[in-house]
Amino acid sequence: MIKLPFSDPQLQRLQFPARLAGTVGLAAAMLSVFMPWAYRSQALDDMTFWGAPSPLQWHFFALTLLGVGFLAVPFLGRARLKRWARIAAWNDAARAVSIGALVATVFAIGGIALATGGLVNTEAGVWIAFVGSLVATAASLVLPSSPEPTLGRLRSPSWLQILVITLGLAAVLFAAMFMLDLDDPGAFFLYVVLVVAIVLALKEFGAFGWLATAAALNKRVLVFGAFTAAFAFPFTQGGSDANMSIAAQVLVFAATALGLNIVIGLVGLLDLGYIAFLGAGAFTAAVLSGSAFATIGWTPPFIVTVLIAGTVSALLGLLIGTPTLRVSGDYLAIVTLAFGEIFRLTMRNLDGNDGPDLTHGPNGIPGIPDLQFGNFNFGDPQFFFGIETGRFANYFWLMLVVLGLIIVVFTNLNRSRIGRGWVAIREDELAAEAMGVNTFSLKLLAFAGGAFLAGVAGSVKAHMDTSVVPEQYVFLESAFLVAAVVLGGMGTVMGVLIGATILKVLPEKLRFFSDYRLLLFGLLMVFMMRFRPEGIIADERRQLEFHEDDDELAEEVEEELIIHQAHYNPDPKKGDA
Amino acid sequence: MEFFLQQLINGLSLGALYALIAVGYTVVYGIVQLINFAHGEIFMIGAFGAFTVWMVLGQPTDWGVSLSLLVLLPLMLLGGVLVSIGTALLTERVAYRPLRNAPRLAPLISAIGVSVFLQEFIRLFYGQIPGFPDSKRAIPFPIIEGISGESIQIGGVLIQMPALFTVVALGVCTVFLWYFVNRTRTGRAMIATSQDPDVSRLMGINVDKTIMAAFAVGAGLAAVAGVAHGLRYSNIDFRMGFLAGLKAFTAAVLGGIGNINGAVVGGLVLGVTESMATAYIPGQFGGSAWKDVWAFVLLILVLVFRPQGLLGAKVVDRA
Repeated sequence: MIKLPFSDPQLQRLQFPARLAGTVGLAAAMLSVFMPWAYRSQALDDMTFWGAPSPLQWHFFALTLLGVGFLAVPFLGRARLKRWARIAAWNDAARAVSIGALVATVFAIGGIALATGGLVNTEAGVWIAFVGSLVATAASLVLPSSPEPTLGRLRSPSWLQILVITLGLAAVLFAAMFMLDLDDPGAFFLYVVLVVAIVLALKEFGAFGWLATAAALNKRVLVFGAFTAAFAFPFTQGGSDANMSIAAQVLVFAATALGLNIVIGLVGLLDLGYIAFLGAGAFTAAVLSGSAFATIGWTPPFIVTVLIAGTVSALLGLLIGTPTLRVSGDYLAIVTLAFGEIFRLTMRNLDGNDGPDLTHGPNGIPGIPDLQFGNFNFGDPQFFFGIETGRFANYFWLMLVVLGLIIVVFTNLNRSRIGRGWVAIREDELAAEAMGVNTFSLKLLAFAGGAFLAGVAGSVKAHMDTSVVPEQYVFLESAFLVAAVVLGGMGTVMGVLIGATILKVLPEKLRFFSDYRLLLFGLLMVFMMRFRPEGIIADERRQLEFHEDDDELAEEVEEELIIHQAHYNPDPKKGDA
Repeated sequence: MEFFLQQLINGLSLGALYALIAVGYTVVYGIVQLINFAHGEIFMIGAFGAFTVWMVLGQPTDWGVSLSLLVLLPLMLLGGVLVSIGTALLTERVAYRPLRNAPRLAPLISAIGVSVFLQEFIRLFYGQIPGFPDSKRAIPFPIIEGISGESIQIGGVLIQMPALFTVVALGVCTVFLWYFVNRTRTGRAMIATSQDPDVSRLMGINVDKTIMAAFAVGAGLAAVAGVAHGLRYSNIDFRMGFLAGLKAFTAAVLGGIGNINGAVVGGLVLGVTESMATAYIPGQFGGSAWKDVWAFVLLILVLVFRPQGLLGAKVVDRA
């Protein structure tokens, strides 16, 4: 928090005018979207019209509308707001909106100036928005910080919870669709800023506390809804495969990252050669695919191929894991790294010249046919209710099923005796062993199990990409997988899905940026470890491990556990918190 | 027999290179139990530092044979060592020190980040310096007359001068290291800290400074290795730290990580194994295409049969 040069009584007197000024400022910014922001249409999306805001301007409108609400509603006074005055963090949320709006307008001005060659092409609208957000930011800094919001404890009817979950999923689907359609990098950045600002404002307000409770109470609705939304995604693309190929790649990446999440997130073993297991699965599937370049003539049905691919990967995992899991965990990182290199070099060398011809060396195996289940060929476009979906949509759906299975395995393992053993190993291996946890075999199980999942994902990837080349499986890809797990949040499903999506979608959308991608990636890893080692979405237990000295956090986590317990077991006699 | 001796010489000189880098892993691991994943990049930056000295001093005038060997090479070594030490200390301060009490995964991941960052930093920005060659490709390393490309013949065995340079450098560095660790206050502080950091702190040892000294020593030797690598392969590039670092780590584990003598022995053993595997494994699995594979197989075999390494350092597990 910025320290302001006012004493407390002065701040008290300033509160009302500040709230008023902030409301007016944000309202002005909100209404500015009905004015043109840019003189020329090629900047961002077309922001040149009177009275007809562009999609991005509508997003800005939504953000500032939220802000006006957060600032204006407290005018009603504590008495009339009753407990709403206390359980939601109005001021903090207003501050988040104001700062977000300010950043967004600065981005918009910069984007317009860059795209059209100068500030001349900015119109009055964007400046009104800028000044309005600036005023609101200044005003919101004067307002006192709200106490911790307790919206999560609010009891609400279940139809409302389900409705909000449904609307939320629809919003996520819409956001994904909209984002993938933005081709202009400036517009993409502005959109990301706006979405992040809205999400942060809602978080400050305490909405996620309520949402977490609602989600916990309606878990089935949430899971079902999420999968429905994901299944519906290809229909929003109008038969175009451009975005679907990205989406399918994201799912393969996410499935692999989830497998890795067992190893890193649950057991705490760092595997730096995980991509080799994906590669092993892909090569196995390619060799058995019946491609004209396949080196083994036998082509089993795909279900069998999947199992073989997974088993090959798992066996490799056992081969690497057995010697290394006995010694200190640090060795594992380097041995897996070495294994990744061995795998890549071996695949390169098995070209008939330096070894038996299995993979055609650096050329790999091209021409892998599409999958065929009975009469259903994955290469064919499909028509549902008159909407066409392309080839990648088929793979997207298949990967969604695979991903769903992996998530089920992951969450169930996490809650099982095995999962508890894993977490115990992660937290303190010696203590776990002393408590009778068979550390070696549990670690080996995680390692081989993770490898199996990667092999399964790899076998689908081989058919989806139609070719498998050793150079796809370099160390950097392993590092990206680790980054997806670390960035999203070790040990969580949601976090890893988000991390995988960010790491795959951003480079696709920011191609002009690609040269600096790895540089930023390196910095990101260092700063994540330093400032938020638990990732974007934190596993609570994990968060505590990273912040052992933070007593406040420990209490918070404990309190939350009690709230959840109260929700699950409304009858205190049955609950044993 | 001559063939065998030749392979032995080749292997020893390659191993000397690994050993120089491996010391850095072992010293740091011995004290903070951290696999400094970015150490390979420190080695790479040492080579680039030396190259920079040559770009600044060595290019315009032709100083002739003896001067280039006697003046320029030491200056290049000095430049490389300074740049490497600077980088290593900076990364220690920024990426490792804040994480010293974090779970063990955190500094390791941070180290990967540093490694990727340093590689990319050199790739993107080194070539941007006016007049410098494009760093996105391999850069030819300057020719030092009297070393580059020259060789001496002893009996039937041909010894390349760069190989001789590497072995001599390892010898000099080992003596220096022995003196530093056993005869100086800082060196003995390092031993004490590696045995028990808390008690060393009680005894008045500045643990932070000692850790920095460990990073600096490792970085210095890595920079010497960087120059040796440049002379040996006559080019350097931003990627060279990855494989060399991996091999050197293998060497450190081979000798027993945490044990300085072990790193030297491990490096030499690894080098000899690699060159013997290339020469003597018959059929398709021999030859240089598989030499890296055999090196890593050796690592895995050592972990199975002798996890404490050849010289058997005590496996420290402070959970």
